[in-house]
Amino acid sequence: MKHIVDLTDRSSDNWIQMGSDEKRTPKRDKAIITQVVVIGGGMAGICAAVAAARNGSRVVLVQDRPVLGGNASSEIRVIVHGVTKLKSGLPERETGILEEILLLNRFYNEQHSFTVWDHVLYDFVTREPNITLILNTQCVRAITVDSTIESVLCWQLSTETLLTIQGEQVIDCSGDGLMAATAGAIYRTGREGKEEFNEKYAPDEPDGWQMGATILLSSKDMGKPMPYKAPPFSIKFDADKTHPDRKIIPFVEGFWWVEVGSNDDIIADAEVDMHRLMGFAYGVWDYVKNSGKFPEADTFVLDWVGSLPGRRESRRFMGDYILSEPDQINHKIHEDAVAFGGWPLDEHNPGGIENLAEPPSFWHEHFEKVYQIPFKSLYSKNITNLLFAGRNVSQTHVALSSSRVMGTCAVMGQAVGTAAALCIKKNVNPRTIANQHIVELQEQLLRDDAYIPERPANDALDLAKTADKIYASSISSGDVNLLVDGVPRDELGETHHWQSNGLNAEVVFEWHNPIALKSVEIKCDTNVKKNIMMLKNTRENQAYTTIIPPELLKSVSLELKIDGEWVDYGTQDNNQKRLIKFNFEQVEITAFRITCHETYGAKNVKLFEVRCYN
Amino acid sequence: MKSHQNTFKTINHEVVIKHPGEEDSVRAILTERQNEAGLPVGYSMNVFSVICLEEVCKIIPVKLFWNNIGVYERYELEAGKTLEKYEADLFEPQDYEKLNYILADDNSPFKDVYYDDILTAPDEHGEEGVDALSGATALELDDKDTVRGAALTCFTLWHWANGEVVSIIKNQTGKSVSLEQLKMFILNENNTYFHIALKELINRNIYSKEVLNTVIKKVLKTPSLTNSAFKYVDKALQENYFYAVNRLFFEGGKIHRLAAIKSLVDTDYSIEKAYLDNFGKQLTQVDSYQEVAALLDLLELKNKNSASVIETAIQLLDEDFLKARKAYWVLKTKSLTPTQQARVDKFYEKYQSRL
Repeated sequence: MKHIVDLTDRSSDNWIQMGSDEKRTPKRDKAIITQVVVIGGGMAGICAAVAAARNGSRVVLVQDRPVLGGNASSEIRVIVHGVTKLKSGLPERETGILEEILLLNRFYNEQHSFTVWDHVLYDFVTREPNITLILNTQCVRAITVDSTIESVLCWQLSTETLLTIQGEQVIDCSGDGLMAATAGAIYRTGREGKEEFNEKYAPDEPDGWQMGATILLSSKDMGKPMPYKAPPFSIKFDADKTHPDRKIIPFVEGFWWVEVGSNDDIIADAEVDMHRLMGFAYGVWDYVKNSGKFPEADTFVLDWVGSLPGRRESRRFMGDYILSEPDQINHKIHEDAVAFGGWPLDEHNPGGIENLAEPPSFWHEHFEKVYQIPFKSLYSKNITNLLFAGRNVSQTHVALSSSRVMGTCAVMGQAVGTAAALCIKKNVNPRTIANQHIVELQEQLLRDDAYIPERPANDALDLAKTADKIYASSISSGDVNLLVDGVPRDELGETHHWQSNGLNAEVVFEWHNPIALKSVEIKCDTNVKKNIMMLKNTRENQAYTTIIPPELLKSVSLELKIDGEWVDYGTQDNNQKRLIKFNFEQVEITAFRITCHETYGAKNVKLFEVRCYN
Repeated sequence: MKSHQNTFKTINHEVVIKHPGEEDSVRAILTERQNEAGLPVGYSMNVFSVICLEEVCKIIPVKLFWNNIGVYERYELEAGKTLEKYEADLFEPQDYEKLNYILADDNSPFKDVYYDDILTAPDEHGEEGVDALSGATALELDDKDTVRGAALTCFTLWHWANGEVVSIIKNQTGKSVSLEQLKMFILNENNTYFHIALKELINRNIYSKEVLNTVIKKVLKTPSLTNSAFKYVDKALQENYFYAVNRLFFEGGKIHRLAAIKSLVDTDYSIEKAYLDNFGKQLTQVDSYQEVAALLDLLELKNKNSASVIETAIQLLDEDFLKARKAYWVLKTKSLTPTQQARVDKFYEKYQSRL
């Protein structure tokens, strides 16, 4: 007999019951228990999740959009700046997890496509077996008991499912920090007055101004005249009244200064502002096309226009320390430094494009060298198991104007992810890490290729430093003994590398007494003095390279001396990382030999560090 | 002065040069100037600097001068001609001097700058066009590195002065000089001459003992040239090759010895046992563990089981522990005399936990 399905039957449906008030909520709930919960899948959240996962924690990463990357994603398309421009004009690249991502993007996205970049990030995160990635899901509430977050409630838009995620440590990398706010974590918005932190670039009196959000656009050349008619919602750009820093050229990549700020609740205003931003973006494009002042734009058309404004500032959660302008410009040494920044003090004017008379950014100051970011500004002062990374950390408005860029957010992310994993291992909260285990946290970060300026590594577990003899087949600069000096880059004009004279090049570490060994870790050169982030319009120059860094080690092999014989322990061909690891079953050796066969173009190989562990 | 000039001769070479400001390779005449002995003393070339204002471009011919190894020396403008900046400003006297200074810096920022950067970001560009959001890293040249308002002129002339022409000049100088002059080049204090000479000697296929001795003399004095020297020595015929390697090993320092050992490991020539035995005797003479290890590896590879080497290696057992351990592992695989075996066994007993 034919089975007849009654499509109108709703007897077992959640919704009809809700309609009749029989059921208050749909029963599509899901509970997840994990160790570390990361809210927000931007650059900070990605690095936090990966760091925690690699350091042994089970991690759930919750992202409210269908793609990872946040402001850097194809939805918004902000460039991943970090310490991309010191006063010298050159960068001081972050290294660590961010470096791995940027290099991966070089290998898989030579075309600089933003949508491909989304999936480079997806690939990078989903490679980690310890991470559960949950997309299209916003964390709307934290359940807090005795100042400790017990679980977080999240709404998954695509499946109409309420997720309850229970974790021991919770990291808010969401930018706006809704979860942390609902947990009751103390936060600020707006600008501090000059006096509070002795900040010369702060206003005399505190106020509510927050830097605005921006809608970007990009255009392309069609090779023939292309007339343009602006849509009715566009808002006229009053070019005559604008400060000259609102430059139209180059117009191809959009205008960062199409920005609307707020002196009150920038989150509450977001939808209203979005409509205004759309109007301004199209208004400026109308000016480009139809003012007659830019004949070079005649053949250009809009190719992409954002719909999701990229936010610069909203909540800043307070930690045991508040990072401020004097810390940055005086390069304060923090005992608990775990990250660093160096983007200029790029404070945008109050109001953005609605305040045409002032320059869009004050560009208060560029840095000669990088500044440290302390761990005590990366966890909540009143919620015991809450950490944060990104623009929502414990800092002043002026400090944020520099630290807000995503490369810097990413290194904070790696720091808090590593810290969260350490909390799990030791069964303690972040404050205890700050007060009792900060050296251990710093050493782990340094081992994982993070850089903490002017804080050399001194890992007691690293056996490379105990070698009785270190020698190399050739040398053109530096010294092999610098491979164990704990500084993983040339720093402040001092050399901390060994560079071969030609290839193949060998480095040998040898001991008088045999040692047990199960890993060898190498940090090679990728030239941190040239930017490699994705750009909309790439150009090779002093501060940027469009290719795979030629310095990067491409092929390297390891041999171990066991019972007087060199034994081959493998070759890594087509290496794509700055930090290269050889892991193997523990074995007793008297020496190991690293042979660097090939780089991606450089005629010598340069290494910064060699470590080994049992 | 006339008679002086008569002793020089000029030779024109048609050259093809790639310039980053030009789409296609450019044909030009490189003029070589030789002294009475036929030694090139310098070169010159007429190039041009392009200045475009709106749609109109002006071409200003400029004559550049180099020494005989391609180091830029100076420039000359035709009488009455001047250089200009954007907006038709003329060069000031100090701008001409500064241009000379920029062209003489072979490591100028213009080395890495791309033509498009110059065009899209003229150097009067304001300090900041770049926010965290925008893509372009605007070109910013320090005042000391450019003539303000004339970045394109600086860029164009810098690449003429320091581009492909440098290696063309080096090659031409190599080709022009006599063998006697090449030998002088080898010993010149400026090592660029050494590299020019070796490249040319390889081209001319000259590996005589006399030339090798000159190379050895230079390299013993300048160890940093060892690797370059071996690229030449390795190509010599058997007898002279072994002669040169021997001299560099026995008369040189650590860098020479390590390079000599590596060369012997890599060479396709078969090496006589006596030759290697002689090297083996040095096992107890060389200072560093690295050399002992490399030498023992060489001997194991190409002179296995030599009684002479075994005897010397036995002596290593009394030396610094790393050397002794290395020798032990070599000796362990050998047929030894009872006395030697007893010595090895004794070493094993004493150090078995450290092997």
